[in-house]
Amino acid sequence: MPLLSFPFPVPSQNCPTTAFHLEPHSLSLFTLFLGSAERLSSLCNFVSLSSFNSLSIQVLPRMCSPCSLKQEFLKKWIMGIQRCNYSKKKLSILERKRAIKLSADVAMASLRNGTTCWSRALIAKAANQGNDDEEHLVEQIVKKAPIRTVACNKRMMRSKKILKRSRGVRRRKCTAQATRPSSIAQRLVRKRTRILKSLIPGGEFMNEASLIEETLDYILSLRAQVDVMRSLAIASENQS
Amino acid sequence: MELNAGAGGNGSHKTASERDEVAALESLQFTDEIRRLMSAPGGDNASSFTALLELPAPQAVQLIQSPDSAKLIAAPAPAPAPNVDDFRGSFQFPFNCGLIDRAARFSVFAGDGNINGNNKSNSPEPTSYNSSASLQKPVKNEPAETESSQPLVSDPTVENRSIKRKDREKVKGSSKKSKTSAKESSEDAEKLPYVHVRARRGQATDSHSLAERARREKINARMKLLQDLVPGCSKISGTALVLDEIINHVQSLQRQVEFLSMRLAAVNPRIDFNLDSVFTAESGSLMDSNFSGMVIPMMWPEVQLNGNRQQYPQQLHLDAFQQPVSGREEVCNSYLTPENSLLSYDSSGNSASLHSNQLKMEL
Repeated sequence: MPLLSFPFPVPSQNCPTTAFHLEPHSLSLFTLFLGSAERLSSLCNFVSLSSFNSLSIQVLPRMCSPCSLKQEFLKKWIMGIQRCNYSKKKLSILERKRAIKLSADVAMASLRNGTTCWSRALIAKAANQGNDDEEHLVEQIVKKAPIRTVACNKRMMRSKKILKRSRGVRRRKCTAQATRPSSIAQRLVRKRTRILKSLIPGGEFMNEASLIEETLDYILSLRAQVDVMRSLAIASENQS
Repeated sequence: MELNAGAGGNGSHKTASERDEVAALESLQFTDEIRRLMSAPGGDNASSFTALLELPAPQAVQLIQSPDSAKLIAAPAPAPAPNVDDFRGSFQFPFNCGLIDRAARFSVFAGDGNINGNNKSNSPEPTSYNSSASLQKPVKNEPAETESSQPLVSDPTVENRSIKRKDREKVKGSSKKSKTSAKESSEDAEKLPYVHVRARRGQATDSHSLAERARREKINARMKLLQDLVPGCSKISGTALVLDEIINHVQSLQRQVEFLSMRLAAVNPRIDFNLDSVFTAESGSLMDSNFSGMVIPMMWPEVQLNGNRQQYPQQLHLDAFQQPVSGREEVCNSYLTPENSLLSYDSSGNSASLHSNQLKMEL
C-alpha cells in the first residue's frame, strides 16, 4: 500500500523535519469533519482501528518526543470533535470551525495536565465563555472535571482584574530622563511585554520570568498543533 | 534532625520549583547550610549536587503545600558530607548525563517539546562550562518515588534564586565565571528562600542589586532559549527586537490555527462555495508569515485547476516544499528525496483530484 508522506519543514534550524505517514485506505475514511455523524464515526474508526500503528512518524533523533505529543493531541482532538458532532447537528461552517478550533485548543491544553499557566487559563476561558455544549465538550476532553481549576482561575482572574482597575493610570512626566536611551529601550521592552501578555492565554497574571517560560511552552505546543492540523487538512483534501 | 529538615526542605522545594533552563553563571557560596544540604540528599549520588533554584512566589506557596515534603524528610539517608573546604577553590563536580536525563523527565512542563528545549540548552552550555567548572545535577531527582507524584525541577544546570539572604558574605571571585552552582534548594527549612549568590568583581554587593542581578540573569537565560526556538531570532540582539520576533511568531502561529480550522471545517465537499475564498484568504494573509512551508501547500489546490495529470500534485509537492527552505539546502534535500520516493498517488488519488477539479469548475 503506497504511503503518503507529508514532510513538514520546520523553520527553525534546530528543529528537524518530521513526517506524518497516513495510509491512503484510512484516508478514504477522512470524510471530514462534522459533515455527518457517519463520516465522523468513520474517521474515528480509522483512529481507533489503526490505533496509530499506521501513523509512522519519522523524526530525526533529537526530537522524538513531539511525536507522542502530536499523537496524543490528535487522539484527544478527534475524540472531542466526535463528541461534539454526536451531540448536535451543526450545519453552519462557522460553528464547525469554532468547534474544531475549540476542541483543538482544549486538547492541546489538556496535554499539559495543568502544569502550565497558559493551559489552565485556556481551559478556564473555554469553559467559561462557551455555551453549554461547549462546556460539555471541554469537560469531556479534559476529563478532569475542570470545574475546580475553572473556579480557581475565575477567582484569580476576577481579583486580578479588580487590582488592575484600581491601579489607575500612571502619569508620565516628560523629564529629561525620558529621552535617555536606556529608558527608551525599557519603554519599548515594556510595551512589547504587554503585547506578549495579551497574546498568551492567561498572560496578564504572570511576572516577566514566568511569562517567558510560558511563551516557550506555548510556542512549542502551538507548533505541534499546527503541524497536526495541517497534515489532517492536506490528507483530507487529497482524499476528497 | 537538621539534616532531615534540610533534606525535606530541599526535596519539597525541588519538587515545587519550576524547571529552569540554564541560567546565568552566578556561582554559589558554600556555607554550612549548603554543606548540610549537600550531605542530606547525597544518598543516591554522592558526587552530584543540587543547584539553587529561583523561587518565585507561587512556588513558595506550592512548597508549603507540597505533600512530598513529608516523604522527603524521611527518605534520604545521610550521606558522607562532602567537605565544603574542598570546594572553596576550584569547584569540580563530575558531570553526570544520567542525572540530566532523569531531571529532564520530571520536568514541570510535561510537554515533550520543553524537554527538547531543555536538552538543547543543556548540551551546549555544559560543554562550555565543563572547562571551567562542571555543572551539577539536582540531587533531588534521585528519590524517584516522590518525584513521580509531582513535577520536579528538571534542570540540572545553573539556577539562581532571587531571594535575599540575611548574611551574605561578600566574595570576590577571581574569575567572573566560577560557577559551580550548587544546585537547588539551598533552604534549610521548607520555606527558607535564601539565595546564595556570588558577587562578581567590581559589582555592587548590595543585597538588592544582587537579587536584581540574579533575576535579570534568569530572564536573560530564558530569553536566550526563546531566541533559539523562534526562527531568525538568534542573529538579533536586543531585547525589544527579539520580543518583536517572538510576538510575530506567536501571532502567526495563532493565525495559522485559525485558518487551518477554517480549512478543515470547509473540507466537506457539499459546501464548496467558500473553498476558494478560504484558500485565497489564507494564502494572502499568510504571505507575510515567517513560518516557512505554511503558505505553499495552500497554493496547490488552486494550481490543480490547471491540470489533472498525476504528475502535477507531485511536482507541486516538490515545489511547495522546495520554496520555503530555499535558504537551507540540506534540509531541502533531506526531505525532498523521501518525498520523491514515497509520494505516489494511486488511481483513486488521481480520480479524487479530478473530482475536486470538477467541483471547482462547478462553482
